[in-house]
Amino acid sequence: MEDNPTSWFMRIAVTILFLFLLAPVLLVFPISFSGDQILAFPPSSWSFRWYEALLGNNVMMSAFLTSLGLASVVTVLSLIIAIPASYAIVRLKVTGSEFLFNLFTAPLLLPTIVLGLAILIIFASMGLLATFTGLVIGHLVITLPYALRVLSVSLGNLNLACEEAASSLGAKPLAVFGKVTLPMMAPGIVATTALCFLVSFDEVVITLFLTGPRMTTLPVELFHHVESQADPLVASVSVLLILMTLAVVMIVDRTMGLTKAFVK
Amino acid sequence: MMHQTIKRDGVETIGDPYLSLEGINKKYGLVEVISNLNLEVRKGELIALLGPSGCGKTTTLRMIAGLISPSAGKITVEGRDVTQIAPHGRDMGLVFQSYALFPHMTVAKNVAFGLEMRGLSRADIASKVAKALAMVQLGHLAERKPRELSGGQQQRVALARALVIEPSILLLDEPLSNLDAKLRDEMRTQIRDIQQQLGITTVFVTHDQVEALSMCDRIVVMKGGLIEQVGTPHEIYERPATPFVASFVGRTNRVKGRRMADGFIRIGSSTIRSTKPAGQDDVVVMVRPHRIHIDWNAASTEQPGETANQTAAVLSRITFVGDVIQYHFDVDGSEFIVEESTKKSQASHRQRDKAVLSWSVEDTLVFGADQ
Repeated sequence: MEDNPTSWFMRIAVTILFLFLLAPVLLVFPISFSGDQILAFPPSSWSFRWYEALLGNNVMMSAFLTSLGLASVVTVLSLIIAIPASYAIVRLKVTGSEFLFNLFTAPLLLPTIVLGLAILIIFASMGLLATFTGLVIGHLVITLPYALRVLSVSLGNLNLACEEAASSLGAKPLAVFGKVTLPMMAPGIVATTALCFLVSFDEVVITLFLTGPRMTTLPVELFHHVESQADPLVASVSVLLILMTLAVVMIVDRTMGLTKAFVK
Repeated sequence: MMHQTIKRDGVETIGDPYLSLEGINKKYGLVEVISNLNLEVRKGELIALLGPSGCGKTTTLRMIAGLISPSAGKITVEGRDVTQIAPHGRDMGLVFQSYALFPHMTVAKNVAFGLEMRGLSRADIASKVAKALAMVQLGHLAERKPRELSGGQQQRVALARALVIEPSILLLDEPLSNLDAKLRDEMRTQIRDIQQQLGITTVFVTHDQVEALSMCDRIVVMKGGLIEQVGTPHEIYERPATPFVASFVGRTNRVKGRRMADGFIRIGSSTIRSTKPAGQDDVVVMVRPHRIHIDWNAASTEQPGETANQTAAVLSRITFVGDVIQYHFDVDGSEFIVEESTKKSQASHRQRDKAVLSWSVEDTLVFGADQ
């Protein structure tokens, strides 16, 4: 392999590709330690002033807490809804389950902006705009298709014989599910958790329609901030977001390995 | 190799069946995969469902386990109708081809699962699990996870898990298919020994005739959702009821012939005898390759007696398979294969060598050509 010229070409190509994809992300790190007043690269001086500014920025901090709470609630609800739903669709094969699956996953195919607009129109009449409940429902529309897809694949890949063996050993259907099916789905459940959390945490398009001065999320607040002023504060927020994403991914990797959770 | 000691007749109804399947039918949509299947199994018997894939043997086993329900018919265990009972209420031990061990539990936990479902005390569970694992010689691996075991070990855990609940019936679905040849031989003996030791009624699904012949008390040969023949290994091998059974169980030569009014059968220019009555129809004649004797002295004009058939043949090909050597002969355009055990000093024969083949009339299996 070492002597193979194509393998060297591949290595260089892959390295360039990675740099291309990651350069903007990497650039954020030095900028976040900038001592300048405006967003520029390279910074003319270094400081922690924008991290300090972030901690002192009440709007940003409360938006961060909202995002954190929102992502947690949305993730838990996604699992509670999608686990039984995928079981009904994959295992019980109830009549119309094919249709249900397509309906559940349809939001993935729709332009998000259209979805946001539709939700805005409906929520406005129900008084759900800029409320936590409204945000949770809006995000569920986005996360459920992911959750359902990952969990259905994970359930579909399980050896059905294990469940049959459990039931032949005297386990009633609920015990089979709790003691065999659910534990065997663990990799899928961890992947779903991570995916739902990350999707909800940085959702912007739909959230733009649903937030207001009363309640806003971190990505939306970041968006508004960049619109009004171009200071390196956004870089320091970005660094924190990247670190959090990395933390989630690393937890998944440590508990079961990334390939197992996402690829299978 | 054969285990049956008492002569049993497989076709007639048995006295007091332990497990019985009556008029079982299974349809998927319009496709009938099992048609009017009737089967009775004695207590303590090891019975094989043997057939090619798609013959309905696994479907039958799954209906006995309750994993699928028959479209029509009745399944009873000790006279109790279990047709409508869910698998968890049937008290049957099931072993799968894929082992189906719970990957998230240790070996001991796997074996304990059925006992926990039955609400046994911790102490009882621990002692029963230890005993079951000792029976399959895996006591030392109790704390391992299934993925850390070899295929053979996993299959023994699956067996222990199915047996520890002391099921009324043990169901084995191709349990040896995923093992390599040597291990398969060992497991065959081990499963048979354990089955005899516990005296447990067992239904064994397999497509491997050697497994069926060597392990089982009786064999049910199936094809296309129908039972072709039920009988002891000896009956199935020596007195196959249909050409399918004859060719599926053991190897056989198959040639076309015509039955004459005088009781003889004409194959090309040769005339042979059979134990079948006279008639006037086209037939298929089958002779097992190792039941044929070769007389290389083709000039010999010795006449066969009343009990033997003989025919002139020309050698067309020789295949050496290690423990046996196969001679392919041409008999009036039909191919006859003859097998002989190999010896160190093998006499050498060449293509186009002439010989006389002879075999006993008893070994001449004759079937109607339309069968």
